[in-house]
Amino acid sequence: MSTIVIEHLARVEGHGGITVELQGDTVGDVRFDVFEGARLLEPLLKGKRYDEVAPIVSRICSICSAAHTLTSLKATEDAFGIRVSPQTDLLRELLLRGESIESHALHIFLLAVPDYLNYPSAIALAADKPAAVLLGLRLKKLGNLMQETIGGRAVHPVNPVVGGFGKTPSLDQLIELRSGLMQASADSDAVIDLMAALPAADFCRSETYYAALRSPNVDSYYSGDEVMVVSAGNRAIVPAADYRSLTNEKAVAHSHAKHSTFRGNPFMVGSLARLTVNPRRLTGKLAVAMKRLKLTLPADNPMDNNKAQALELINDVERSLEIIEQLLREGVKDERAMPAKPRAGTGTAIVEAPRGLLIHCYTYDEEGRIVSADVITPTALNAASMEQHFRRAVEQCPERDEAVIARRLGMIARAYDPCISCSVHLVRKR
Amino acid sequence: MKPVAVIGLGNPLMGDDGIGWHVAERLAADPRLPDGVEAIQGGTDLLRCAARIEGRRRVIVVDAVRDDAAPGTVSEIGEGEAEERQEHAHHLSAAQAMGLLRMTMPVSFTLLGVSVSQARMEERLSAELAGRMPAILDRVLEELR
Repeated sequence: MSTIVIEHLARVEGHGGITVELQGDTVGDVRFDVFEGARLLEPLLKGKRYDEVAPIVSRICSICSAAHTLTSLKATEDAFGIRVSPQTDLLRELLLRGESIESHALHIFLLAVPDYLNYPSAIALAADKPAAVLLGLRLKKLGNLMQETIGGRAVHPVNPVVGGFGKTPSLDQLIELRSGLMQASADSDAVIDLMAALPAADFCRSETYYAALRSPNVDSYYSGDEVMVVSAGNRAIVPAADYRSLTNEKAVAHSHAKHSTFRGNPFMVGSLARLTVNPRRLTGKLAVAMKRLKLTLPADNPMDNNKAQALELINDVERSLEIIEQLLREGVKDERAMPAKPRAGTGTAIVEAPRGLLIHCYTYDEEGRIVSADVITPTALNAASMEQHFRRAVEQCPERDEAVIARRLGMIARAYDPCISCSVHLVRKR
Repeated sequence: MKPVAVIGLGNPLMGDDGIGWHVAERLAADPRLPDGVEAIQGGTDLLRCAARIEGRRRVIVVDAVRDDAAPGTVSEIGEGEAEERQEHAHHLSAAQAMGLLRMTMPVSFTLLGVSVSQARMEERLSAELAGRMPAILDRVLEELR
């Protein structure tokens, strides 16, 4: 028997690796170990006051700090029965789109493209293809600026608070964002040109279940409160408060993250799932781009998540422009946040983070202090599906060469864009 | 915008991984910090700080480093000395981010690594590293002279 071990998917020693056991041509155990920092945070939240919670959870991750903040605020507002204003919803969606633009630009241009073109890193790619890397950096910077403008800070937003916003952006700031977004909109052909020119990555075909927030209207991924699960012929709806029937977590011996299955089936969350569940916006420019990328839905290739991210990047830019136009047309009111009256109870919120469904559920006591907290990240939700796709990829790989298998599994793992250990950040010397 | 910035990286929720973050916090309140220098708590992604870097003359990045030195040892990590391998599935290391930023802006970067031996979910630094804080601050301030 031979064992293939792919380490260093994460920067935490001994976590985030893939292990494949092979007995001749037969695939034995396939294990994916995820280090789940978010879960470790739950005990830390115990006893914290409702207005301390979002600032703490925003630090789970630098890349997803806006999504964690907004999910946290929504869960607290659900617990206290607070309804925020339509302007707050719009500004929060803009913040989330900024995070998505930043995250997708980083992932597509600085991580996925080097992978497809067989470069060891974005720096190596930049030596040969500086235009691609600079385009990625420009889009990432725009996403940063959006978050800084709306969130009040580039990392870990401070403006969004329970019930609304501490400070709203000025018209001048929105006009500045609009000009950046118009430039990005003009760049969208270049994004698709680059993606369409990448070599095909077809390592595993497998019927896949997809789960995403179902939008109550065509435009928003932020404001839904039910999840739709789609497979080849079936659709099921799970209301936010029933999220445990979706997540159905089971501890597995080899991983720090519990595995989630829906009615026994692993499911995928993220960009590809969102487009599968909410295809209504895939018209006009996006339909043309989708055709150029040869993407059909529902997809049976997890690598298509990279294409879906590129489509979302374009959609995020267009939708952000629409929001800003609306805000400029209607004017930004200097609203106070809705007053928070703490009460004992439980609140649940689900938001689409860049990598997929993010769930926060808090139980508060009558003074508004956390009794218990449940934080489920997209990477944890994807773990079982990733493992299934790794297995299929090994089974479908015509070669038994370790390097070939390792490269394929690494690329599939990265296509999921996992947030394995955002919490840790160490430099390693040669 | 001040011409020089010290950007401390790390996650304060992950014990000693947060050393850069804590260094920036302490420096910001330190009367010895020269006038033309701003201390910034940068989180875990240096690229996110791009807008706060652009336009400065010099940026010193302080980050945790895993090597064989005693915890709290501060060493300058030269260009090419950190691993270039893309080992994180999801974002770039400080060294890689610095490489990309060098391409886009004429800023002089220095990477100071503070050796750590552990990074686990904890809201504070280990006693060992906290005890070394005065010496770490001295070393960073020396870099600013």
